[in-house]
Amino acid sequence: MADLAHDLGHHDEHESLGVDNRKLAMWVFLASEFMFFGALISTYLLFKGKEGMAGPLPRELYDIPFTSVSSFVLLMSSLTMVLAHNALTRKDQPATRSWLLATALLGMVFIAGQFFEFATFIEEGMTMRTNAAASGFYLLTGFHGTHVLIGIIMLLSLFGISRRQGSLSGGQGLNLELVGLYWHFVDIIWIVIFTVVYLIP
Amino acid sequence: MTTTASRSTIFRRPTATKGFWSWITTVDHKKIGVMYGYTAFAFLLIGGLEALLLRLQLAGPEGQFLSQAEYNAMFTMHGTTMVFLVIMPMSAAFMNYLLPLMIGARDVAFPRLNALSYWIFLFGGLFLYSTFIFGTTGAPAGGFLAEEVSRLGSAPNAGWFGYAPNTEPQFSVGTVLDYWAIGLQILGLASLLSSINLITTIFNLRAKGMRLLRMPVFVWMSLVVNFLLAFSLPIIAVALWMITFDRQFGSQFFQAANGGDPILWQHLFWLFGHPEVYILILPAMGIVSEVLPVFSRKPLFGYAAVVFAGAAIGFLGFGVWAHHMFSSGISTVAQAAFGLSTMTIAIPTGIKIFNWLGTMWMGRLRFTTPMLFSIGFVAMFTIGGLSGVTHSVVPADWQQTDTYYIVAHFHYVLFGGAIFGIFSGLYYWFPKLTGRMYSERLGKWHFWLMFLGFNLTFAPMHWLGLQGMVRRTWQYASDTNLGPWNMVVTIGAFIIAASILLFMWNWVVSKRRGAEAGIDPWDARTLEWTIPSPPPEYNFAEIPTVTALDDFWHKKYSEDEEERPVRRDTADLLVEELEHTGNNPGKPIHLPGPSYFPIAVGLSLPVVGYGIIYHGEVWGVALLAVGVLATITSFVGWAQEPAEEPGEEESPGEEH
Amino acid sequence: MSEPAQPEAHHHPSPRQYVQIALLLAVLTGIEVGLYYTEPTFGRLVTPALLILAAIKFGLVVGYYMHLKYEKRFLTGFFGAGFILAGLVYAVVLVSVLILPRFG
Repeated sequence: MADLAHDLGHHDEHESLGVDNRKLAMWVFLASEFMFFGALISTYLLFKGKEGMAGPLPRELYDIPFTSVSSFVLLMSSLTMVLAHNALTRKDQPATRSWLLATALLGMVFIAGQFFEFATFIEEGMTMRTNAAASGFYLLTGFHGTHVLIGIIMLLSLFGISRRQGSLSGGQGLNLELVGLYWHFVDIIWIVIFTVVYLIP
Repeated sequence: MTTTASRSTIFRRPTATKGFWSWITTVDHKKIGVMYGYTAFAFLLIGGLEALLLRLQLAGPEGQFLSQAEYNAMFTMHGTTMVFLVIMPMSAAFMNYLLPLMIGARDVAFPRLNALSYWIFLFGGLFLYSTFIFGTTGAPAGGFLAEEVSRLGSAPNAGWFGYAPNTEPQFSVGTVLDYWAIGLQILGLASLLSSINLITTIFNLRAKGMRLLRMPVFVWMSLVVNFLLAFSLPIIAVALWMITFDRQFGSQFFQAANGGDPILWQHLFWLFGHPEVYILILPAMGIVSEVLPVFSRKPLFGYAAVVFAGAAIGFLGFGVWAHHMFSSGISTVAQAAFGLSTMTIAIPTGIKIFNWLGTMWMGRLRFTTPMLFSIGFVAMFTIGGLSGVTHSVVPADWQQTDTYYIVAHFHYVLFGGAIFGIFSGLYYWFPKLTGRMYSERLGKWHFWLMFLGFNLTFAPMHWLGLQGMVRRTWQYASDTNLGPWNMVVTIGAFIIAASILLFMWNWVVSKRRGAEAGIDPWDARTLEWTIPSPPPEYNFAEIPTVTALDDFWHKKYSEDEEERPVRRDTADLLVEELEHTGNNPGKPIHLPGPSYFPIAVGLSLPVVGYGIIYHGEVWGVALLAVGVLATITSFVGWAQEPAEEPGEEESPGEEH
Repeated sequence: MSEPAQPEAHHHPSPRQYVQIALLLAVLTGIEVGLYYTEPTFGRLVTPALLILAAIKFGLVVGYYMHLKYEKRFLTGFFGAGFILAGLVYAVVLVSVLILPRFG
């Protein structure tokens, strides 16, 4: 039994769903995050069209071309993420590191874009206090951005560990997959946000 | 009982196994469960004290015992404490302690995360209660609170449900509601992390042969509860962030003047709040489903029905939330829809009640203390459930809302239900936890005194409410003639308090001097009764293989032609052998090592909380920075700490 | 259930396929943005079209990048349950607040 990869040494001995503990935990956590972002998105939808609000409304200030580029950047970061995972399965450690770094960099570009967008809106007179739609917009995109930031920290940590140890092995390899799941989730939330918040009239 | 000597040859990580530091750094689910239990009980005493203060104020008309500000603080903290700091952590205590034992595992899937949940709870609760020291409250100039508010009144005062716009900064000046919002935010995180942990544990760490439909009902109810937690806590997290941002940063979520909507708060709160009440009751239902069969010497009637009814209650629980909003001005269509959906929940609940009755029917009943509390649960919860059904009739609810009729309902289900269930469990598993028996005489005194006090307290509230006694109001006028029954209620409350003192006495004395219990004092059915009392740190010397539901029972008993249990000749020998081998595993068993990081993160979060509240001051910003930094560094340290030492052979189910 | 140890990849798309999916995602986003500018012309048809496009992108990332298509079915169950539950309850809230009051 000690010969088998520790993952599978379990299967003889107990009942399980056949998915690694941490992976199962991550999927359940991500499912719960739908409830979190759902509340934020529906709050924005509730307020966005309300009559009689003061100050500029988010939809009056959106710069669709700019945000489209941001969205494209985040989508591409999902590609680099999945290529990082692929590189790891081929045990190509330098490629894994490069793709991890690329993902983190694209994430940082996205965040920079968000900061720039917020700064512009604030300059144009829309802060969180201006009206409920603005509050909803900032809270939603702010929390999304925070999730991206946490993801970037995790990506850079994996990058650092790989540099220090020379490779990501065993449990760390699973960690890359888990960070990937998280990262893609943050991306699909943005897919929803971009369409529902920015594009839909 | 195991000895230290035999332990030290088994464990390879000789960090603290006894004493104060072993508790601080423990990742053992049993120790964590014990800590949850004692902490929750301490909060029970505090929440109970708050209730007694309320009852002293309401004992007679136009009471002057508490000021208005103090009254509002007391009923808010009583509710908040009982829900978030008593029933939820008590349920966590049971789930933590029992789940691995009941499924044949050595610990939960993520032991350090488990410890983290406890420390977040403890320090989150202390953070919330620090409002009494640091919190400030006030009102717009000229309001009745314009004068100085006492320390007793300096606590969250907007009800446990914190409706907007009352909670908005212009109506609730000061910091008490920030302690509430941020405190609950922190506490919610503890439960969310725990839910992910326990879901993974239940699905992935079961012993061989422990198929899902062979798990004890308590495990099934825990599974449903943890899914409810995972899917409902994020909702209130968003709501609490919104009110925090409204109060701290001037956002407009619930400010009607600028596009906000106070009704949004109600929707979000109750979207969480209704699943929350099922979170509060299902663990107790699970406990009762374990106790009744043992003391009826019969299997649970309709195991599958009870399991699926529990799942149905959980699922339907997401579809009824606006029944808390019937008088809030929601549309008629919504009222009708939610009234209907609320009625449907009575169906799976009724199924469970009939199955419990069916379990006892024609059983050989033993009226031990846990059995009395479980039967009490069935009776009291049924009464509370019936008043609940009357709420689902919308026009009737318009009359009942905001009166004591509602208070009667939820206390019958939460006290007569959840708390009775919890006491049933505390008595039932006391021998397993301590290795000793409690005093049955004191236990029965506790039950009957509590039963009397409970009914004296809450039954009159039904008609007090229908006579018009209004909730959340510090006084009632003398010409309402509500005085006499209110006095009865207050007396009942003090009888409850006396019964709790009896319980505490029983617990402390029996723990020290109770008769030795052995591994299976109740002749029970589930796996936790196959290991020594108290359990050794590794739980099972050898992970069992399960071949049926109630596997242990079937190993002790066969059935005659009339399906009555017949004790096997081998039963006594089996129990003796289990006791012997349980303490002598014969081979090294490796367990995850203790860690400092969970308590480190647990301590950092309230620091962040204080930083948010006082971010207007320089030292507040410093606190915020320190707290965030401490949290991040603790996580980094945690991530680098191996769950156990590298190269060690894994025990089944252990996290790598 | 004892299989020889192998990495999680029972079946994975190749890097080439990943890139193709990425290109598809980019194209779909482009179409979405284009549709946004046609709103004056197509009016209310734009919303369902945008939602469908978003759903396709969502499905592609979840199915292929998150690998859900190749995982055990119950993972789709858990993930889907969260998604559907969120969709349902928040839809009810929005309908309750925005639409139902018109009917009394």
